Amino acid sequence: MFQLLLIALRNLASHKRRTLLLGGAIAGVTGLLVILMGLSNGIQTTTVETATTLMTGHVNVAGFFKVTAGQSAPVVTAIPALQQQLLQEVPELDYMVQRGRGYSKVVSDTSSMDLVLGGVDIQNETGFRKALMLREGRMEDLEQPNTLLLFEEQAKKLEVKVGDTVTLSSPTMRGTSNTVDVRVAAIAANVGMLSSVYCYLPNSTLRALYQMRDDATGALHLYLKDTADVPAVQARLMKRLPELGHKVLDHNPNPFFMKFETVNREAWTGQRLDITNWEDEISFITWSVKALNGLTVGLLVLLLIIISVGVMNTLWIAIRERTREIGTLRAIGMQRGWVVLMFLFEAFMLALFGTLSGALLGLAVCLGLNAAHITMPMAVQLIIMSEQLRFAVSPVAVAGSIFIITFCTTLVSLIPSFLAARMKPVTAMHHIG
Amino acid sequence: MTQLTAVSGANRPIVSLTDVIKTYTLGKVEVPALRGLSLDVYPGEFISIAGPSGSGKTTALNLIGCVDTASSGVVSVDGQDTKTLSERQLTDLRLHTIGFIFQSFNLVSVLSVYQNVEFPLLLQRKLNPKEREQRVMTLLEQVGLDKHVKHRPNELSGGQRQRVAVARALVTRPKLVLADEPTANLDSVTGQNIIDLMKELNRKEGTTFIFSTHDAKVMNHANAVVRLADGKILDRITPAEAQKAMAAGAEGH
Ligand SMILES: Nc1ncnc2c1ncn2[C@@H]1O[C@H](COP(=O)(O)OP(=O)(O)O)[C@@H](O)[C@H]1O
Ligand SMILES: [Mg+2]
Repeated sequence: MFQLLLIALRNLASHKRRTLLLGGAIAGVTGLLVILMGLSNGIQTTTVETATTLMTGHVNVAGFFKVTAGQSAPVVTAIPALQQQLLQEVPELDYMVQRGRGYSKVVSDTSSMDLVLGGVDIQNETGFRKALMLREGRMEDLEQPNTLLLFEEQAKKLEVKVGDTVTLSSPTMRGTSNTVDVRVAAIAANVGMLSSVYCYLPNSTLRALYQMRDDATGALHLYLKDTADVPAVQARLMKRLPELGHKVLDHNPNPFFMKFETVNREAWTGQRLDITNWEDEISFITWSVKALNGLTVGLLVLLLIIISVGVMNTLWIAIRERTREIGTLRAIGMQRGWVVLMFLFEAFMLALFGTLSGALLGLAVCLGLNAAHITMPMAVQLIIMSEQLRFAVSPVAVAGSIFIITFCTTLVSLIPSFLAARMKPVTAMHHIG
Repeated sequence: MTQLTAVSGANRPIVSLTDVIKTYTLGKVEVPALRGLSLDVYPGEFISIAGPSGSGKTTALNLIGCVDTASSGVVSVDGQDTKTLSERQLTDLRLHTIGFIFQSFNLVSVLSVYQNVEFPLLLQRKLNPKEREQRVMTLLEQVGLDKHVKHRPNELSGGQRQRVAVARALVTRPKLVLADEPTANLDSVTGQNIIDLMKELNRKEGTTFIFSTHDAKVMNHANAVVRLADGKILDRITPAEAQKAMAAGAEGH
């Protein structure tokens, strides 16, 4: 057994060029795979972290208020009572915040743009500081009324700096426009697609803009201690809130700003609640993550096929070169199975050496790129929901790719090994080439 | 005398060929290598197969060594018809009963001299490491290679490689040793040493030897010379007769 290993090892060593070439190819594929998975995983983590802080809770209790059938506002009223009920119904709750929802034209001296408004009580929004990186200004300044947080991209377009004043102009249900002047208090680094759509202001200012009552807001974001509880909590609220006397809309897995049309087409008036989870609210962004995952899988399959063909080819050559030797070994009494085993060892060691070094290389690249903090171009930022690439390499994924590639390589080597072992000893011994 | 003891010691041949025909097919051409060969070799015999190049010596040894199969006829080794044995059984027969010294050495290039000789013992898995080492070292001393244990085959001369091949064939102490022109690549002194070693094994252990050779000096040590021509047995003669026949042949030229 040991001798077989020795022969296999020596064979690898005595064909340095071939070993390095094939091992290098396997290493390259493994490394690439690790990097791709790290990227995909990193984007997913960033997206979910950022989006669940900025756009959605783990579970949201939001709603629409309609004065007439065809006009809806993204508003939930009688918040204190609702909050009380939620505290009772959701023991899994970590914390809950109010998030005002609105829509406004933001006008500066030189330019204007349409943005979705998020009303925040910044002192309660513990995740904000983690999810956003400020370029200018202070987060705390949003505690003061009539302030605004913009993203870099927006500030650039509006040509404003911290301290400048812009006017928010929002259409109301009565058909007029309300306006309020706000001071730019903070400018945050872009977070992908979100930073071209959203800006944030204090809840009080948002209420003032829409002349909403104090007990109304856009949505209640519920953050749970464990995200695994999301489906259970959502299902419970769908059942319990109607029992507690609320009218609740059917589940519609889309972000709120895509629901106005549907809601306006329905005949009801008054207040309806809408219960969503974080995946619903960010479904319009997660396509990029899904696409990347698809790409990763596709690439994986393609690479595995290429590698398999390469390995088989190389082993074929290796075995042809050693046919005489195989013949000799068989002639002096080595069973066929042992011959196969010998080549399996060889392929296995090559694959293991390749995948291990490839994984290490991939890991090093991921860590290096993480540390380098490279700012990506705008188009890439849109997809990755962040200014910078972030690689999150999961040990399970790395171990998995090492295993899969090693396994496939070893498996593929079986075919030429079997063919070599099947030859008549004398035929093999007199093989030329 | 050796022949007498051998024959009386065991009345069953260790190798028995009956009407063996071997035809190679080279594309569409059929090349007859053996045309009805019958030969019995008894345990303890020291047989030389002689004959001109192309007469079928290697083919016959390959069939006896179970590395090739006959087109027709019966090849029995150690009392078993090789046609009835499975590939696994044939492999076991090669490992435990037969030692084969190939004409072109056929050493494993990535293993050292020591490892090459040790290899059949590892396959056999009969001896413990200490016994194994002893066996290998003794044999390497006998063939004069105990100073070269760590060398790779490609670092040795032709003669040294052949001696490794001899050691590898003898290391398992097989009942039957086949040697295809074992002295062809050796200088006469080394050739003599190898023959002496074989003779000694033949005498002490009763090992049966069948070797092919053109070398008259080597033939001298055999107790019978089987002469082949065109894939058939010409005759079975004594070394002295063979010597005479060869001399006559040489004069005829
Ligand atoms: N693998 C082979 N394919 C075709 N013909 C062969 C093969 N091996 C041997 N022969 C032919 O068989 C005959 C006997 O060869 P061989 O047994 O090698 O003779 P010897 O060993 O006495 O020189 C020769 O004519 C040779 O050309
Ligand atoms: Mg020959």
